[in-house]
Amino acid sequence: MPQVDLTGGALMSKGREQWGTKLGVILAVAGSAVGLGNFLRFPTQAALGGGGAFMIPYLVSFLLLGIPLMWVEWSLGRKGGEYGHGTAPAILYKITGSRFIKYFASIGIIIPLLILFYYAFIESWSLAYAFFSVSGALTEAAGKNELAEFLHGYQGVVSNQYFDSIWLAYGFFVVTIVVNFYFIYKGVSSGIEKLSKIAMPILVVIAILLVGRILTLGTPDPLKPDQSVMNALNFVWTPDFSVLLESKVWLSAAGQIFFTLSLGMGVIMTYASYLKKSDDIALSGLTASATNEFCEVILGGSLIIPAAFIFFGQVQTVQIAQSGSFNIGFVTMPNIFANMPGGPVFASLWFILLFIAGITSSVSMIQPAVAFLEDEFGFSRKKTVLIMFGLTFLACQPVIFFMKYGFLDELDFWGGTVFLTIFATLEIVVFGWIYGIDKGWKDLNEGAEIKIPSIFRFIIKYISPLFLFILLGTWTYQMFIPTIMMKGVPDENRPYIWGARIFILAIIGVMMYLIKITTEKRPEVSK
Amino acid sequence: MSMSAAILMVAVWGIIIALCVFCFYKVFSKKD
Repeated sequence: MPQVDLTGGALMSKGREQWGTKLGVILAVAGSAVGLGNFLRFPTQAALGGGGAFMIPYLVSFLLLGIPLMWVEWSLGRKGGEYGHGTAPAILYKITGSRFIKYFASIGIIIPLLILFYYAFIESWSLAYAFFSVSGALTEAAGKNELAEFLHGYQGVVSNQYFDSIWLAYGFFVVTIVVNFYFIYKGVSSGIEKLSKIAMPILVVIAILLVGRILTLGTPDPLKPDQSVMNALNFVWTPDFSVLLESKVWLSAAGQIFFTLSLGMGVIMTYASYLKKSDDIALSGLTASATNEFCEVILGGSLIIPAAFIFFGQVQTVQIAQSGSFNIGFVTMPNIFANMPGGPVFASLWFILLFIAGITSSVSMIQPAVAFLEDEFGFSRKKTVLIMFGLTFLACQPVIFFMKYGFLDELDFWGGTVFLTIFATLEIVVFGWIYGIDKGWKDLNEGAEIKIPSIFRFIIKYISPLFLFILLGTWTYQMFIPTIMMKGVPDENRPYIWGARIFILAIIGVMMYLIKITTEKRPEVSK
Repeated sequence: MSMSAAILMVAVWGIIIALCVFCFYKVFSKKD
C-alpha cells in the first residue's frame, strides 16, 4: 500500500513496481501498440485509401495527433505513478479534483477490458493456426479452396467436415489466457518487460523474413506477367492524389494512427505509471511510436497486399482488401502461402507473428485492471491475478459462443471505437486545458532526453483536441448513430446485440461502484 | 515501378527508418 511521505506531502509509491530498463518500457509500449492491426488493418486502409497518397494524411495525423497524444498519455501516467496510481480515474481525479471526471475516466479501465474479452479469442486463433500450418490441416483445406469453411468450422459458426464443435478452439483459447496471465503474474518487470524484450525482436525478425520471402517472389506465374513484385509495390505505393480532397481518407488515416498507437485505451497511462518521476518520456514515447510505424508501414505494408497482388492480381486484391481483417489473416494469407514453396513454414511464421503481436498487446490490456486492484484496493498480485483470470475467463464466454450473432463486433464498436475516441478527447482536454498546458509542458519535459520542438505545445493545446473533436463529431454522425440504431442488423442478432450492451453497462456499473469504494477507502491527501 | 511510387516509398521508408535509427541511437547511447 502506498505510504504517506512526511517530507513532501505527496503519496510516494513505496513498494510499487517499476520498469527495469528504459529499453524494456519502450519495447513494452511498442508491443502494446504493435498488434494484429499493423499487419491486417493498415495495409487494407492504405490500399483502399489512395495507395501512396494515403501516407500524406497518415503522416500528418502521426505528427498532429499520434505523437502529441502519445506524449500526453505517458506524461499523465508517469504523474499518476508519483502518487501511487496507475489508472485513469485516480490519476485524472488527482490532477483535476473533479468527481465527474473521476467517474467518467472509468472508461480508461473498461476499454482495455472490453477489447481484451474478444482480442484474446482472436489471438488464440493465431496460435491454433500456427499448429494447423505445420500439421498439414491448413494445406489440405487450401488445396480444396475451403479455407473459409475451415475458419468458420474452427470458430464454431458452423459444424462441418473440418470441425464438428468449438471445443478445439476453446482449448486454444484457454491456453492463450493462461499464457497471458502467466506474464501478468510475473509482474511488470519480470513478466511484461521480459516478454517484450524477447518477443519484439523475434516479431521483427519473423516479419523481415516474411517480407523478404514476398519481395523475392518475382513473377510466380509466368502466364500472368503483370502479377509481379514490382507491379505489386507499384500498386501499394502509386499515389492517387485526388483522394486528398476526400474527407473520408483523412478520417481513415487519422483513425488508423489512433488505433495503431493504442491511444485512448488507458494502457499506456498504466504502463507509464511504473516509471520514476525523473525517467524520460519524450524519447521513450517517440521511440515506441517509431517502432510501431516501422512494423506497420515498412513491414505490414510489404506483406498482405503485395502478396495478394502477386497471386491474385489487382481486381481481386481490392476485393480482398474490402473483405475484412479476419478473412485476410486467416483465409487469404494461408491461401497465398499454399501457393509458394515452403508454404507451411511461412504460414506458421505468419501465425506466430500474429500471435506475438497479439500477446504483447493483450497483456497490456489486462494490466490497467490489475493496477486498479493493486493500487486502489491494495490486493496482492496473486489475489489480483486470480480475480482477473476468473473475470476474463467468464467474460470471454459470450464472445466465443455468440460470435456469429455479432457480440464480438458490438464489443469492438463500443470499446474499440466509441469509448476510445471519447477517452482520448478527455485526456487531451484535461492535459491541455484543465491541468493546463504550462504544467503539462513542464511535466513532459521533465527528464526528457530529447528536446521536444516548442510547436508541440501549440499542437497539444489546440490542434490535437480540434482534430479529435472533428473525428468524434464525424464518426458520431456517420458511424455511431447508425450502429447504435442497429441499421442493417438481422433480426436474429438483435437480442445478442442488446445482450452485449447490457453486458457493457453492467461492467460500467460495477466499475463506478468500485471507484466509489476506493475513494472512501483512500481519501485524497492534499497536494 | 512508376517514378512517383518509387519516390514516395523511398521517402516514407527513409523517414521512418531515420526516425528509428535516431531514437534507438539515443536510447542506447544513454546509460540506464
